[in-house]
Amino acid sequence: MSKSVLNADNISVKFGGLVAVDNVSFDIPTGGVVSLIGPNGAGKTTFFNVLTGLYKPTSGTVTFDGQDITAKPPHKIAQAGVARTFQNIRLFGLMTAEENVMVAMHSHLKSGILSTILGTRKQRAEEAESKKTARELLEFVGIGGTADQFARNLSYGDQRRLEVARALALKPKVLLLDEPTAGMNPQESKTFVDFVYRVRDEKGLSILLIEHDMSVVMKVSERITVLDRGQKIAEGSPAEIKSNKRVIEAYLGKSAESGN
Amino acid sequence: MARSSTRFSARLIIERFSATLILLLVAVWLGVNLVKSPSQFFQASAIGISNGVLYALIALGYTLVYGIIELINFAHGDLFMLGGLFAATFIAVWFGQDSPSSVGYVVFFACLIAVMGFCATINVAIERFAYRRLRRAPKLAPLITAVGVSFVIQFIGIRWNGSGPKTWNSVLPSGEIIIAKVHIPYTTLISFLVTIPLLVLMTYIVTKTRRGKAMRATAQDADAARLMGINVDKTIAFTFALGGALAGAAGLLFQQTRGVTNYNLGYQLGLIAFTSAVLGGIGNLSGAVLGAILIGLIQGLNDGLPIGLGQQWSQTVVFSILILLMTFKPTGLLGKPMVEKV
Amino acid sequence: MKLSLRGKRSSDKKAKNNKSFDQAKWIRGFTIAAVLIWVFYAFVVELLPYEVASFFQKWMPASTVNESLVWVICALGLNIVVGYAGLLDLGFVAFWAIGGYTAGWFMSDFFHQVNFHLGSTAPSSQNGIHISFWGVLIIGALIAAVFGVIIGAPTLRLKSDYLALVTLGFGEIIPQFFYNGENIGGFNLTNGSKGISPIDNVGLFGKTLGPFDLDWKYLIFVGLAALMVFISLRIRSGRLGRAWLAIREDELAASMMGVPLMRSKLSAYAVGAVSGGIGGVAFATHVNGVFADRFSFAISIILLAMVVLGGMGNVWGVIVGALAISWVNATGLPAFGDTVNAALGTNINFPSYNFLLFGGILIFMMLYKREGLLPESRLKELLHETDDASTNTGGH
Repeated sequence: MSKSVLNADNISVKFGGLVAVDNVSFDIPTGGVVSLIGPNGAGKTTFFNVLTGLYKPTSGTVTFDGQDITAKPPHKIAQAGVARTFQNIRLFGLMTAEENVMVAMHSHLKSGILSTILGTRKQRAEEAESKKTARELLEFVGIGGTADQFARNLSYGDQRRLEVARALALKPKVLLLDEPTAGMNPQESKTFVDFVYRVRDEKGLSILLIEHDMSVVMKVSERITVLDRGQKIAEGSPAEIKSNKRVIEAYLGKSAESGN
Repeated sequence: MARSSTRFSARLIIERFSATLILLLVAVWLGVNLVKSPSQFFQASAIGISNGVLYALIALGYTLVYGIIELINFAHGDLFMLGGLFAATFIAVWFGQDSPSSVGYVVFFACLIAVMGFCATINVAIERFAYRRLRRAPKLAPLITAVGVSFVIQFIGIRWNGSGPKTWNSVLPSGEIIIAKVHIPYTTLISFLVTIPLLVLMTYIVTKTRRGKAMRATAQDADAARLMGINVDKTIAFTFALGGALAGAAGLLFQQTRGVTNYNLGYQLGLIAFTSAVLGGIGNLSGAVLGAILIGLIQGLNDGLPIGLGQQWSQTVVFSILILLMTFKPTGLLGKPMVEKV
Repeated sequence: MKLSLRGKRSSDKKAKNNKSFDQAKWIRGFTIAAVLIWVFYAFVVELLPYEVASFFQKWMPASTVNESLVWVICALGLNIVVGYAGLLDLGFVAFWAIGGYTAGWFMSDFFHQVNFHLGSTAPSSQNGIHISFWGVLIIGALIAAVFGVIIGAPTLRLKSDYLALVTLGFGEIIPQFFYNGENIGGFNLTNGSKGISPIDNVGLFGKTLGPFDLDWKYLIFVGLAALMVFISLRIRSGRLGRAWLAIREDELAASMMGVPLMRSKLSAYAVGAVSGGIGGVAFATHVNGVFADRFSFAISIILLAMVVLGGMGNVWGVIVGALAISWVNATGLPAFGDTVNAALGTNINFPSYNFLLFGGILIFMMLYKREGLLPESRLKELLHETDDASTNTGGH
């Protein structure tokens, strides 16, 4: 097993004259739980979107599991094993929780239109199997009882969990979580940290989070990468980052360092 | 959305190649016709441009509304049709003018003001009662509503004008001037005389007045505009009023220069005008005018040239252009690409 | 667990939100209604006294029933494209036309230069291509499916409004091609504005159905409609249906969950087109010909009104919507108009009010009842979604 499951080399993203990401190299160690942080506008989400195929970088490459995925469309990257959740929850509100999870299994199912219409035994078996798997995933994230409810009607916390369950249905190797604790109270955030490690351990994944909540970041990350204004300004363990001058400056402004 | 880099450049090559090929074929077609019968070529062009000017007035309405609320106002063309009906009623029925005379000219100008007011009012009313509620609804809803409004307006057209075309005599002077074997009717000149000041006036309103600035701000970011104290509702209403007024003017011009009214004119010409707006870059005002002239030209040439598909394929040609545009260059000639934010 | 009449579907054991339970009820209801109507027109009508029979003749003639079924078939097709996948197709009339002309080409004397027969009811001495109705259904469906893909292909990357315009463009171009088709490069491909007529009779179990065998035609049309219902429901319960619903709601998220957008959308167009093609073939046998000037933009809009009225994505609602609007347009308005005019001595042209009707339906439904009259419960929430300021409510 190689050291990094996902490698981004010299990624730059320019929108016209605006440089959103400036020559950032980054990797996700296999089996690791790492975070990407930075003040607002640092380019985290843009970079994130490059990793998942939503944006094509102006330059640089992304390699996943040995393959070059820089050029691939989002659904192919998802099928290859890169799953993500969204900052603003993007569930299929009018489908049940179970169906939401089953959508993500699309690429693993094999039945074509004809066998679906005819209801062949193979197709029925496949459907039953995917329902079972979906329910198992819902149980795993802790919302097993909501399988038949419309996603729109779930509580906020349950929706976040559903997003993770759906991402897990892709049978990914890497899970990218975009601000997963937004809107959570401290208690929920704490449970979330444990949850992340459970996911990593039980599903054998590598995990990348974008986060704003510093307490969560410090607690959950094995390694933190800091972006500011499109550039990588620091990378290291939580302890190292906490005391990194440049990081503090980026977040609080230069005066903070000199003032107190 | 991103595309694979290899697929990206392959696609780009194919697009550029096909675009060049199409342009080449068009150039050859034009060239052959030009050589074969130059006077017919220029005649067809003249007709085309005079149509284009009319389309420009209508296209501006589409592009204004799309720019500000991202809605294709399906019913806009039908507003133009209503303008024609109003003009016919105003000039011929109320004032009994059916031939050129100084009274006729006065009535014509009075009608210009009146029809612009009429159509502006109707457009504002439509926005208020049919579209406003759906401003935050998913795009499907106002689109379907607009189609519904279009049909209702056509119904009004049927009741007002009957289910077939009606012909009218014009108060504009008949006759023409001839320049280098090209016949330019006086009505065409008058169309220009009316349209160009209107366009200039519109440009002034949009670029120099407060209302115009409010429009452009709202088009860029409605929420930010609201935070700046702009009354977004009023601004949108104003936009609809402007677009409606222009459509009304176009309706009057059409009715007086072509002498015909028909309930389904709006649908036909509306789509042509919309194609023009897209060709120029939807949301871009000068683009709408440019696109309209181009489309008018293409249509005129197609219909009037000896080597051409002929009038019965006119719609197919325009719609094919629309489809090609949407497929390969939805931003049109002067529009800017939009990136979806995640 | 209730047994549905279509045995296979009763294997969905869990009543998910009572969905399969409702399905069984609807299936039963419609099957009973369909059978009763057939019995009525095939046997009962002949036994009725004159006044009662002519009442039915005025308000619900058998030909209207059959025509309405064609509308149902086409509306079900549009329901797949608009209702399931959320792609606003404003040019669906193109598929109806394609189906019609397939019948015109392969069930008539049009290609009188050749003589080819395959299971047809026409005598073998007759020139032209004469394939049996059932074969032509398949051919029409396939050709329509191909065009579904052709029409869908340019729209794949477009937003909903641009998508609508492209489909509208095709909806104009294709009928115009048929209308002008008398002279394409010197060949007469479609007989232009004259249309192609007559169409061969339909053969059913050795029996040839003439123009007055409306009750047998009815059974065939009901069967075709039932087939489309079956196909719609089956696909929707599988992964493609889920993919469509996901695309309808949030295409970006769908693609990031591994749903192949292009393939899924093209499938929607293709399956929807099949329905249109089948409807077109059926209609050609109903009016005994295919006539170019009938394929107008208004038809696409009427179909849209049917889908909107019935509830986008709800096959049962769409059936009801289609039957209702089709009846009003073909029989209801004229008959109502005659009655009112006779009673009041007026001379109002009621049928010309149909534009007001269709437009009014679309506007009213979008403003007040976007989910349709018989809403698929999920749709009620989708179409009101962004109206609310809050995106999430507490758990129920």
